Amino acid sequence: MKNLSKYITKTAQSFLIITSFATFSVLANGDIGEHVNHLSDNIKKYEEEVNWLSTKVDGIVSTYQKSGAKAAHPDALMEHWEAVDFHGAIESNYVLIYASIWQGLYGVKGSIDKNSPIADVKAEQVKLERAFWQALGAVKMAAKFQDQGLLAKVKTTDEAPKNSLEALVVIDKNIHSVVAKYAEQLTDTATTMVHDTYLNLFEGVEGELIVLDANLVEDLEKDFNVTLPLAIKNNKSVDEVREIVTAMSKKLTKAKLLLENKAKTKKDVF
Amino acid sequence: MQRRTLIKTLTCLGVVSALPFLSATSFAASSHAVSVDDLPELTGELTLYLGRGEGGLYEDVLNAIKKRNPKLKLRIRRGPTAALANSIMAEAKAGVRQADLFWAVDSGTIGQIVGEGLAKELPSDLTSQLQSNFRFSNWAPISGRIRTLPYNPTRVSVDKIPDDIMALPDSDLSIAWAPAYASFQSFITAMRMLEGDKATTQWLKAMNKKAKKYAGELGVVMAVERGEVDLGLANHYYTLRLKSGKPDANLALAFSKNDAGCLVNVSGVLALSENKTASDFIRYLLSKEVQTYLSGEAYEIPLAGQLPPPTGIPSLTDISPPEIDLTKLADIRATLVLMRNAGVL
Repeated sequence: MKNLSKYITKTAQSFLIITSFATFSVLANGDIGEHVNHLSDNIKKYEEEVNWLSTKVDGIVSTYQKSGAKAAHPDALMEHWEAVDFHGAIESNYVLIYASIWQGLYGVKGSIDKNSPIADVKAEQVKLERAFWQALGAVKMAAKFQDQGLLAKVKTTDEAPKNSLEALVVIDKNIHSVVAKYAEQLTDTATTMVHDTYLNLFEGVEGELIVLDANLVEDLEKDFNVTLPLAIKNNKSVDEVREIVTAMSKKLTKAKLLLENKAKTKKDVF
Repeated sequence: MQRRTLIKTLTCLGVVSALPFLSATSFAASSHAVSVDDLPELTGELTLYLGRGEGGLYEDVLNAIKKRNPKLKLRIRRGPTAALANSIMAEAKAGVRQADLFWAVDSGTIGQIVGEGLAKELPSDLTSQLQSNFRFSNWAPISGRIRTLPYNPTRVSVDKIPDDIMALPDSDLSIAWAPAYASFQSFITAMRMLEGDKATTQWLKAMNKKAKKYAGELGVVMAVERGEVDLGLANHYYTLRLKSGKPDANLALAFSKNDAGCLVNVSGVLALSENKTASDFIRYLLSKEVQTYLSGEAYEIPLAGQLPPPTGIPSLTDISPPEIDLTKLADIRATLVLMRNAGVL
């Protein structure tokens, strides 16, 4: 119980950090639906969906245990996940856990495809189940923030950032989405996102930033152009890619502070 | 022949007016930057299409103009410059005009709009504020950037750097470049105009064998500074910014002569409606204060009046940029095809 409470606090803190730093927009595959802007009204449905998903995963694992990989049809894991509205709710509100769900789905599927011992498959199932329930917890918390007006409305289109600070917010959001897309095994999409985020967003920020901290820019340059794309290209684990993104995110937070401080002393145009 | 001499000569011969894009005006007048204190107050409504660039500095300028002109209702649509240009052309074809002004980060895109005949004539007393070789009848350059050869002086001395960009592939120098970068592609477009497609293709192929590729030009400059290569190809301001953040950086600037390697490209603005408020708005962008701000904060080169360039680069009169109609840099599609065929992209 103590651990659970600790986890919820930690999740809440992370969530607050993310929500205060990010302006969310649509990245889901397809239309995520207006329901994401009415989370409280849909919590019951999301709960039912998570229970349904849990049952489906359990059914696939049980079939595997009884009848083998072919009969289990593990591809259905992804089909079930993409069929639920909860998918859009978590993707648009907490992409970090969204990535964990994909990681879990492929963990179960991969272990079945490899004809792994049932104990290994069940270990992957536990990780996936945990991600589902963590996601539901995060969406419930998001619903509370949304009700209090503390959550930005999910946008259906991206707006161009007006300045470097806004660009940093979008960059941070995008690199977390890179983890999600990588976890979805959409490697080309993840690589393109890294490239586009660099060229369309970071490249416009770094000129202003390099005057303030050249080493920080140099680090991020390397992350965008070498470390992250190379990790994706070399099929590193989702955890390893996430680790790189988490480190980049910390550097972006530092960049944000530098730019905020600079803004305070910026001279007026007139 | 210096560009201004050429243009003066063409003007005397009556040739300038025959050039569809150049349409230079009033070359005899000396340029001067006007203070905002001497500008009329802006009133009414304007819609500006703003191409993305320079972080938030253009936004700072716009906010300052809005603050100074509370009776102006300024609507801004932001986006990539090329996408906004496409919107403007599509809107014109559909018989609607949404934007009064278009502020673009590169002259090539301006050229597209001018080429479609959508840009309105600007008052000559406005264009005469610009330095003589940046005066056009239907658009106004705002600030400039020079193509440069940043080099690492601990690895190579300046006398070893060719002043002919076409000779670069034959040098013993190791080189960094960013072919996917928009400014680089404008530079290649300029090379095509000056040297022809065949020579440009040969240059690209030869360079491709020896140059190390980077995603952006700040990356190029940082690679030069780290000593990964001897020299790079990049816009001037990346070097100035890096030197500002890291004063002891191993970086210096070299320039080629009279070729695409020292192209001066510009950001620019044009009016899409015949509207005094729109042209007065442009006067604010050319004001001494805005020009000085963009030079001081973004290291861009002021083009109105005789304001000094950012510290660290020579004045425009001390370099020898090529004779180029900047608006023809719009022909980017053919450049991309050529670069792909050369195996660079």
